[in-house]
Amino acid sequence: MKLITFTVVVALAACASCTDRSDKSEPGAGSSVTHVTEPGDAIDQKLMVALSQAKNFHHKAKVYMSDGDTAAAIASVREILSLRFPPNAPEAEDVRNDARALLARLLVGQGQLDEAMNVVKEGLGSSRESFFTANLYTVKGEIHEARAQALDKSDVATDKAKAVEERHAAIESFDASNKIDKKLQDQLLEQR
Amino acid sequence: MATKRDDDDILTGTIPAPEDEATPAERAHAKTFADLIDKTLAGRTPPAMSADDRALLEVATVIRAASGNAELGDAKRRSLVEGALRQAIGGKAAPTGDVTPIAKARAKRAPWIVAGASLAVAAAAILLWLGAPRRVHVIDHAPAALQDNWKSRPADPLIGPIARDHAGDASARLDTIFADRLDGYRELRMRGGH
Repeated sequence: MKLITFTVVVALAACASCTDRSDKSEPGAGSSVTHVTEPGDAIDQKLMVALSQAKNFHHKAKVYMSDGDTAAAIASVREILSLRFPPNAPEAEDVRNDARALLARLLVGQGQLDEAMNVVKEGLGSSRESFFTANLYTVKGEIHEARAQALDKSDVATDKAKAVEERHAAIESFDASNKIDKKLQDQLLEQR
Repeated sequence: MATKRDDDDILTGTIPAPEDEATPAERAHAKTFADLIDKTLAGRTPPAMSADDRALLEVATVIRAASGNAELGDAKRRSLVEGALRQAIGGKAAPTGDVTPIAKARAKRAPWIVAGASLAVAAAAILLWLGAPRRVHVIDHAPAALQDNWKSRPADPLIGPIARDHAGDASARLDTIFADRLDGYRELRMRGGH
């Protein structure tokens, strides 16, 4: 009986060792698995999930906006900025900058001009030039315009001067936007 | 009515009247026949006997069996049953008097069957373990093998310049980006990538 028990234990141990080896299917672990490698910039599931989540937050914000609930729409768009995209995915920067542009416009509609400007500047801090950063410059120009209009209503003389400065800043922002757009379009035409 | 008596021919001879006294010859014959039946029941049937005696003995045996008194002993009966069952499962009939109960025989054999099967599994597992390849097979795809639409990339060529009156249409632009990347992702999956 002891012999039989020993034999069964040996069999189980042997099977367990095989299972352990198959579980450790990492490179260098002595396993026999086959890996299909992909370059790091391939579209993967994480990117698709993040894009899908961003899409849903946008649609949610649209519903809130159609209901006139701008505060809830702003909260929904802010959620997009905290989504986790794969590192170094260019789409992440584009989607976030587009969300920033929308968020800033919503904040302007709420009269929160300084907060809107902070959101825009946060996006413009990114290094890569894109049509989305150009759009951010456009929104930045709109914020300057809104500031100028607010200053125009003031009776203080210094505010009149500040309003002129804001209008100049708005023009500069629109110019920056156009400049980026033109540069990128030229690059795209060259690639074709 | 008494007629001629032939005690040596009890089957075909004349039948004595019921009130007739048994003759000494008849008594002796009856005693002999009774002994013969006793021996037969005890399993010691004489090898030779007269045809009349054999016929009578067969009749007596049949009558006894028909009366229900011809039961076998427990050991004999058990051995016969075990033998029949053993034959039914493909084994040889055990010799009378030396029968091993089937349950006992199985109980003796089962541990060895388990042990044998376990040994076979263990041996196969060890062989697989020893024969397993030591390397990870990595199929590398050069970066150039990836089509552009399978890559994560800037969305500028897809979206193009954003007009001022569409600056807030981020949702529509994201729908476009998502649909495009989903196409690439599906193609990538279909070819066996991520």
